[in-house]
Amino acid sequence: MENLEYLAAAYSVIWLAISVYMFILYRRQRQLRREIDSLKEKVKEKGG
Amino acid sequence: MQSLKRNALSMSSLLGLTFVTMLAAQLLVFIYVPTEETMGVVQRIFYFHVPLAWNSFIAFAVVFVCSILYLRRRDMKWDRLARTSAEIGFLFASLVLITGTIWSKTAWGTWWAWDPRLTTTLILWFIYLAYLLISAYATEESRGARYAAVIGIIGFLDVPIVALAIILWRTQHPGPIIFEGGLTGAMLLTLMVCILAFTLLYFCLLVQGTSLRRDRNEVKMLKRSIDEGK
Amino acid sequence: MYRSEGLKGSADKILTIVWKDIKSEIRTKEIATSLVAFALLVIIVVSFALEPGENTSTIAAGILWVAFTFAGVLGLSRSFVLEKDKGCLQGLMLCPVDRSLLYLGKMLSILVFMLVVEAIIVPVFIVLFNQHGFPPQLLVIVPLATIGFAAVGTLFSAMAVNTRARDVMMPLLFLPIAAPVIIAAIKSTGLVLSGESWGAIASWLGVMAAFDVIFLAVSPLVFEFVIEE
Repeated sequence: MENLEYLAAAYSVIWLAISVYMFILYRRQRQLRREIDSLKEKVKEKGG
Repeated sequence: MQSLKRNALSMSSLLGLTFVTMLAAQLLVFIYVPTEETMGVVQRIFYFHVPLAWNSFIAFAVVFVCSILYLRRRDMKWDRLARTSAEIGFLFASLVLITGTIWSKTAWGTWWAWDPRLTTTLILWFIYLAYLLISAYATEESRGARYAAVIGIIGFLDVPIVALAIILWRTQHPGPIIFEGGLTGAMLLTLMVCILAFTLLYFCLLVQGTSLRRDRNEVKMLKRSIDEGK
Repeated sequence: MYRSEGLKGSADKILTIVWKDIKSEIRTKEIATSLVAFALLVIIVVSFALEPGENTSTIAAGILWVAFTFAGVLGLSRSFVLEKDKGCLQGLMLCPVDRSLLYLGKMLSILVFMLVVEAIIVPVFIVLFNQHGFPPQLLVIVPLATIGFAAVGTLFSAMAVNTRARDVMMPLLFLPIAAPVIIAAIKSTGLVLSGESWGAIASWLGVMAAFDVIFLAVSPLVFEFVIEE
C-alpha cells in the first residue's frame, strides 16, 4: 500500500480544516449569544 | 420562543443528518469501495476532492444569486448569505487545491501540473479571496457589501470564460489530467454519497454562518439602542 | 423632468468625459510617459531571465503581455485616484448623467491611453526581440485584449479607490478576473509571432471577444453600485 501517507495527509487536512472551522463558528456563536443576553438585560434596566 | 425552539430543532436535525451521511461516506470510501488498479490507494482522495470542488462552485453560484438580490433589494440578509457562502466556498476551494496538489504529487511526481480543473479552481480561489478582502477592506460596511456583491456577479460570470481559456490552453499544450477513468457501480455510489454528504455539510455551515452574522447584527443594534437611550 | 435626448445626447456626454481626460493628459503627459517607461522597464528586467538568442516567440509574447498587464494595472489604478483626490468624482456625480455613460466615458479614455502606450511599445518590442516583422493580426489582438482590460479595469479601479490598501486591491481584483484575456493575448501573440495565421488564433480571439462582450454589457449596469455614495 504505497502512498498511504499521502492519502492519510489529504483526509486529515480535510477533517482538520472543517472541524476547526466549525469549532470557531460554534465558539463565536456562544460568545455572541452571551453578549446578546447581557445587552438585552441592559436594555431592560434602562427601560424599567 | 416556540419558533426559536423549532429552529434549534431543525438545526440539530440538519447537523445530525449531515454527521450520519458523512460517516456513511467515509465508511464507503475506506471500506466499501475497492481500490482502483491504475492509481492505487491514493485514488480514494478523489471521493472527497470532487464533492469539495463541486460544492465550491455551488457556493459561488449562491454568492452570485444573493449578490444580485442584495443589490436589488438592499436587504442585509442577502448580503449575509452571500458572504457566508463565500467563506465556505473559499474554504472548500482551498481544500480542493491542497488535496489536488497531494494527488498530483503521488500521480505524476510534481506538486503542480497545471491540470485544467485545478488551475480553474486556483483562479476561483483568487476571485474568492478578492471577494472576501474587499468586504474587509472597504471604508464602510454598506460600501463593502455593495462592492462584494459586484465582485460576486462579475466573478461568477468570469469563471466559465476562465475555464474556457484554460481548457483551450491545456488542449494546445497537453499535460496530465486528474482521473479520467470510467466509474464502476461501486465507485459511482460512493461518489454520490460523498457529494450528498458535502452538500449537506455546505448547508449546515451556511445556516450556522448566516445565523452568526445575524447575531452579530443584533449585537450592533442592541448596542446602538443602548447608546441612543443614554 | 428633462426630455430624453436619445443616442446623440448620450454619445455627446460620453465624448465630453473622454475629451476631458484626454485634454488633461495632453497637458500633463504624466500617465502616458510613466506607463511607457514602466512597460519598457518590465520588458527589460524580465529579459534578464533569458539569454539573448533564446527568445522564442512564445516567451517573447509572454514578456510583452506581462509588461502590458503590469502597466495596465498601474494606469488603471491611477485613473480614478486622480479623480478622487481632486474631488472631480463628486463633481461628475452631481451632473445628471446616467451612471453607465460615466462608465463608458472613463472606459474609453482609459482605452485610448492604453492603446497609445501599446502602439509605442509594440514596435520597440519587435526590435528588441528581433521578431520577423510586424504581424498584422496584432492589430486585432491588442485592441481586443485592451478593451477587455479597460472594461473590467475601469470598474475595479473605481472600487479600489474607495478601499483601504488600494494599491494592492486593484491587481488582486483585476488579475484573476482578467486571466482569460491575458492567457488569450499571450497565446495568440506567440502564435502570430511564430508565423501562424488567423486560423490558429481564431479560438483565442473568440475567448477575448466573448469576454469583451459580456463585460462591456455587465459593467455599465453594476457601475452605479460602485459609484454611489
